Amino acid sequence: MKILVPLKRVADPDNANKVKIPASGATIETTGLEWKPNPFDEYALEAALRLTEDGKAPKVRAGEVVVVTFGPKETETTLRAALATGADRAIRVDAADDKLDGHLVARALKALVEREKPDLVLMGKQAVDGDSNQVGQILAEQLDYPMATFAATMKEEAGGLLVGREVDGGVITLRVKFPAVVTVDLRIVAPTSVYSMKTAPAFKYNDGVRFAALPAIMAAKKKPLAEVKLADLAADQGLRVTYHGFQAPPARKAGIKVKDVTDLVNRLKNEAKAL
Amino acid sequence: MPATLEQSFMKALFHGVIAEDMIFPFPETPKEERENVGVMLDTVRRFFNTNVDSKKIDQEHRIDESVLTGLKELGLFGLQIPQEHGGVGLSTHSYLRVMQEVAGRDTSVAVTLGAHQSIGLKALLLFGTADQKKRYLPALATGEKVAAFALTEPGAGSDAAGIKTHAELSPDGQSFILNGSKIWITNGGFADIFTVFARTSPAEEGKKPKITAFFVERGKGVTSGPSEHKLGIRGTSTTEIFFEDVVVPRENVIGEVGKGFKVAMEVLNNGRLGLAAGCVGLSQTLVKMAIERVQERRAFGRSIGDYGMIKDKIAGMLASLYALESMTYLTASMVDTKADYSIESAICKVMGSETLWSIVNETLQIAAGIGYMQDYPYERMLRDARINLIFEGTNEILRAFIALSGMAGPGKALVEVARAMREPIKGFGLLSDFAVRKARSMLGRERATRAHPLLSREAVIFEEYAGELASQTEALLRKHGRDIAEMQFAQRRIADEAIDLFGIAACLARTSRAIEKRGEEGARREIDLTTVFTAMAHKRLRQNASDYQKNDDELRKAVAVRAYQDGAYPFDLL
Ligand SMILES: Cc1cc2nc3c(=O)[nH]c(=O)nc-3n(C[C@H](O)[C@H](O)[C@H](O)COP(=O)(O)OP(=O)(O)OC[C@H]3O[C@@H](n4cnc5c(N)ncnc54)[C@H](O)[C@@H]3O)c2cc1C
Repeated sequence: MKILVPLKRVADPDNANKVKIPASGATIETTGLEWKPNPFDEYALEAALRLTEDGKAPKVRAGEVVVVTFGPKETETTLRAALATGADRAIRVDAADDKLDGHLVARALKALVEREKPDLVLMGKQAVDGDSNQVGQILAEQLDYPMATFAATMKEEAGGLLVGREVDGGVITLRVKFPAVVTVDLRIVAPTSVYSMKTAPAFKYNDGVRFAALPAIMAAKKKPLAEVKLADLAADQGLRVTYHGFQAPPARKAGIKVKDVTDLVNRLKNEAKAL
Repeated sequence: MPATLEQSFMKALFHGVIAEDMIFPFPETPKEERENVGVMLDTVRRFFNTNVDSKKIDQEHRIDESVLTGLKELGLFGLQIPQEHGGVGLSTHSYLRVMQEVAGRDTSVAVTLGAHQSIGLKALLLFGTADQKKRYLPALATGEKVAAFALTEPGAGSDAAGIKTHAELSPDGQSFILNGSKIWITNGGFADIFTVFARTSPAEEGKKPKITAFFVERGKGVTSGPSEHKLGIRGTSTTEIFFEDVVVPRENVIGEVGKGFKVAMEVLNNGRLGLAAGCVGLSQTLVKMAIERVQERRAFGRSIGDYGMIKDKIAGMLASLYALESMTYLTASMVDTKADYSIESAICKVMGSETLWSIVNETLQIAAGIGYMQDYPYERMLRDARINLIFEGTNEILRAFIALSGMAGPGKALVEVARAMREPIKGFGLLSDFAVRKARSMLGRERATRAHPLLSREAVIFEEYAGELASQTEALLRKHGRDIAEMQFAQRRIADEAIDLFGIAACLARTSRAIEKRGEEGARREIDLTTVFTAMAHKRLRQNASDYQKNDDELRKAVAVRAYQDGAYPFDLL
């Protein structure tokens, strides 16, 4: 099975207080931010690795996992980390962060999918910076591929996948035929969420994503990392989404202490208007 | 000049020579290495965040098997083992950076990893034959086999020459028969391969024994005792090891027969740097905890961080940590360029363990009541930190080493001058070298010309006391000759001066680089920390320098000797 996993780097959500907006409100200041791979994309990579291996011998890859990111040269760090974790090959689409939107990324990915011809495009359900939750859906539409979103479980079968999605009141199982687009939710990295046809049904993974072993980090340098120009993938680089301004959320006001229950009820009624 | 001058920054300094080329420009990690190590640190952080519970390790007195397995799978047991033997193949710099990260998360894990690769298998890397490496390294790199370093014995701690474990050549000459026991061996409970030091000459009164280093596999005749109960690093396994008629094949001699002392010293030189990096890591964690705490905790209507006495502590912590980190990584580059770094690494070990001890003590003081409670990590970290002043050479032994090893060069030079006076023709070469140096130091002191002009005040202090160290060394040698070996009050002063000077030198080099790269404002933090550290060091240097002339050494000796006779504190105000 050949799987394409798009990865995005995002500003470290644990250091959100470092995000600065200049007085003009025209942009978000990105210098000095710490970058991390988008967690949902890491889950997608983990799921891709699980689908292309026998769980008990994770060093041998059955098939190919190709990772792709969009961004400037520095984003190659994200790709290197993915290669060290187990991906076979990486592609960086050279682009400036603020010259991209979900639609453009999906259009460029479509061209890339047509080139690479993967069986499956596996991606995070959304990136935790913009929380747009749309690239997977737009891509599937553009490719006219079957799609499953928010996958919580995946089981490989001949020519496709059984995808479990958690919905209100239960789990829906979808049968998806390759080639397909699947976006994953965080449950996909639970110990029994993903089974390739090679992995024994009784096998249990460690909870969460695997970490790149140190020798693999050194070896990842020898894995191929190609650069592609955005223009080669998308002739029209127009953006559908334009940002008119940025504003930091208002600082939270300090709380107050209430005297007694009567005071509490009063304030809930008159100030918070919650009762 | 004696040959050592070009090879060791500190040895040269004892001659009064500032070998600037050895420390300027401050070493920089190549970009690719920085990227790799960055990804590795990410792995380490994630693994520790999800798998390592330091409180549990401390309480259960062991590191869970699953944690050890995880560490092995990540490659953390083979950090410096070459890739051809299945390791990660890190440079010293990168190795220290990874160990720093590990120690910043859990000291028991760091000491376990350090005992394995900083000292346990180090002799193999430094002295092993190609065949020995091929035989042992792959299993050690994956952690399938764990190593330990076995030198200490009940009767021989600091005085390693006093070991009694002995190895006799078998009648057929093919193997050695090992007998004896070792004590307080880290990883002793589960290690598979021991670097063991044993005497290979008969014990003779007053004669230095010949010591040989061996690889000994756990097997017939090798047993370990129960785990010791300890103050800190409770997750580490510390045991006795017994050897009873253990047959060690000749091929398992490390280095040469009779040259084991050199093996032990080289391994420990290296290990001490790993220990220093661990101290950097734990200190960083503590500083972060202290900074958070002082901004959070309020007293008298203000956060305690507002108060001067607290700010004073925080500033001191940051400045000494900055110096320690600079010294440690400067020394790492000396290892990687194959300079003689024995004094420098001993300095880093002493400075590292004492900086950490002071930081952990002050952090606990800032946390106060909660600092004392087992529900919080401070008291555990204090207990864990304490070992660093003791093992891999106690700080007293290392101070003596720093002083005597530093003075040895000038000592030899003096002897040679004396001989040259008697045999003017033969000794001419030596004399002229010495005279050149002498002339130079008479004309004016050596200059630290490569320090950035913004640091000129600090550079002048460095120059002044570098001159002072050299002239004091020479004065002591002229006055006392070989007797200096017995003069520990003076050794302590010399060593402390050397430590402070190396600290200032490392800060000058690092901060100069920072200024060159980012300008004065961009390097504000580094400049300020250099100034604060240099001021702290300057006070000590001044004190030590004046104490040579005027001190109460003899009185203190007498007080101690009398106390030994009294047997206890002699008063009672009842
Ligand atoms: C937790 C732990 C783990 C250890 N792990 C290992 C290990 O893996 N492998 C190993 O081989 N050893 C190990 N050791 C042993 C350790 O290296 C020794 O404890 C250390 O070298 C000191 O020896 P000692 O305890 O016998 O002290 P001693 O040598 O008895 O010294 C006692 C005191 O006297 C001072 N002193 C001694 N001689 C002099 C002198 N000439 N001048 C001035 N002061 C002096 C010392 O500084 C010290 O303060 C470990 C120890 C501990 C506690």
